[in-house]
Amino acid sequence: MAFDLNRRIRGRVWKFGDSIETDAINPYYRYPTMDELKQHTMEAYRPEFPKEVRPGDILVAGRNFGCGSSRPGLVLREVGVAAIVAESVARLFLRNSIARAIPIFMAPGITGVVHDGETLEVDYPAGVVRNPVSGASIELRRFPPLIERIFAAGGLPEFARERYLREQALAS
Amino acid sequence: MAQTMAEKLFSGHNLAGKPVRAGDIIEAQIDGAMVHYHASEPMHDLALQAGFNEGLPRVWDPERIFVLVDHHQPTLSQKQADDNALIRREVERLGIRSFHDSEPGISHQMMADYGLMRPGELVVGNDSHTISYGALNAGGTGITRADMFYVLLFGELWFQVPQSIKVVLNGHQPNYPIAKDIVLYLAGRYGDDFAGNMSMEYDGSLVPQLSIDSRMCLAAHGVEVGAKLAMFVFDETTREFLRGRTDKRYEPIAADPDAEYEKEIVLDIEDMPFVVARPHQFGNVAPVDELAGQRIQQAIIGSCANGRFEDIEIAARVLKGRKVAKGVRFLISPASQQVYLQCVKAGLVETLLEAGAQVVTPGCGVCQPKVGFLSDGEVCITATTRNFKGRKGSLKADIYLAGPLTVAAAAVAGEIVNPKEVFDGI
Repeated sequence: MAFDLNRRIRGRVWKFGDSIETDAINPYYRYPTMDELKQHTMEAYRPEFPKEVRPGDILVAGRNFGCGSSRPGLVLREVGVAAIVAESVARLFLRNSIARAIPIFMAPGITGVVHDGETLEVDYPAGVVRNPVSGASIELRRFPPLIERIFAAGGLPEFARERYLREQALAS
Repeated sequence: MAQTMAEKLFSGHNLAGKPVRAGDIIEAQIDGAMVHYHASEPMHDLALQAGFNEGLPRVWDPERIFVLVDHHQPTLSQKQADDNALIRREVERLGIRSFHDSEPGISHQMMADYGLMRPGELVVGNDSHTISYGALNAGGTGITRADMFYVLLFGELWFQVPQSIKVVLNGHQPNYPIAKDIVLYLAGRYGDDFAGNMSMEYDGSLVPQLSIDSRMCLAAHGVEVGAKLAMFVFDETTREFLRGRTDKRYEPIAADPDAEYEKEIVLDIEDMPFVVARPHQFGNVAPVDELAGQRIQQAIIGSCANGRFEDIEIAARVLKGRKVAKGVRFLISPASQQVYLQCVKAGLVETLLEAGAQVVTPGCGVCQPKVGFLSDGEVCITATTRNFKGRKGSLKADIYLAGPLTVAAAAVAGEIVNPKEVFDGI
């Protein structure tokens, strides 16, 4: 599923703390199907989240978001999370999100500019995250060009197929 | 330009053929790819998703791909059996020969047991604890299943060259393993992401005294403090371990003496108390004495962090002539069949069974909600990798992490205790 980094995102915030692990995001050991996962994602920290999250909501987290096992956060997209904005992201969760074209942004200081339930605007082209009510804004980190191309392709498997087909065409 | 081990590793594997510095984004040549139990996703599901209707059209080099179906052996459900059958078909179709689906054990330990990765190599695996290969001076690093799909096709992958942190460990190795205490202590002191995205490069007077088992524990836990790599130097201990396991040539890597580190931390282990991580985060660490008296219902030794010979040997020493406390389930899972065999030959298993411990099949199960679930309100102390909420089933259970000596002592006492109070052999 392609994700256009240049699309501005505006949504209601669900706020989480530091070092939220992939066992909480994607507890597939206990809930192996996507239908089950959707009913249990993030419940370890906020039991109401799976029931009350709405399409278009934005997840804001502290440092080290997605630490632990190498597991994708596809379930967050499935329940409608439009973007993840964190102080910092654990490297495997970041790699997973890039590889599956899940909109994730690192904005050091983000937890200081928005409260739970408030609205947040993510403006990647402008390189900022804004709280439209308070007017506070904070810089977000741009991705290197290679990563932007992976997002544009719709993820790494799709990016791989494009390369494979290009190379096959050149070889024939 | 002086280089860290990480800069050496990625310079030597940079497809652009140029030396690299920390921060560079590069595409790297991969030497080895370890695919574990999620193999059906990179080998099959993601191929279909990307539009390869017949599945993965090829693999880049069947000799450099190692498929170890570790978490799901023996299978615990029909779905796992069906999944493993699909993996077997795909492995045969793609011509991959290094395939292990008839031997339980943790992939990372089996990669070491069978000499499937070597010093100086860049080896990726779709499991976070692939970082443990740094114990053997190999550039092991965890990737994702989608990254693995790319690697299987091309043998290449993008990386950001990490900054490096030098971790200097000084002191004398006591007569029991202390690797777990070291990494927990550091996480408690510096936070659970103090090495975030970095290459940890170990140094100091303790390092030459550390066994491969201890180095694997420290390296595996690199990921629990956020690291991309956790590297040990190549020395006589490494050479001795590899003898007879691999006949391939390898070129160890070493940092230049004047390499630049982002930061340096120093720990003298003689100043370090026994420590325990409280629920539910790795960095939530306290000296064991602060937690003494906490009752437990379960104790575990196992996993890619602590399922090795020295971890089980210290448990056997503690249990010799003693009994596991009534009402405590003490599960011990060797990291691999080879480790299990080593324990049997050394007579450890008899001691463990006589004391009332349960020796369970090698594998990842004891570190997950797969083998030995906890119920609401139950407490477990474990020498495994993680203490996250729900890691052993109930979200209302508490998991404490500690070294194997502290876990064995707690199993005997029925509560968290300073091991010196139970065991006089230290």
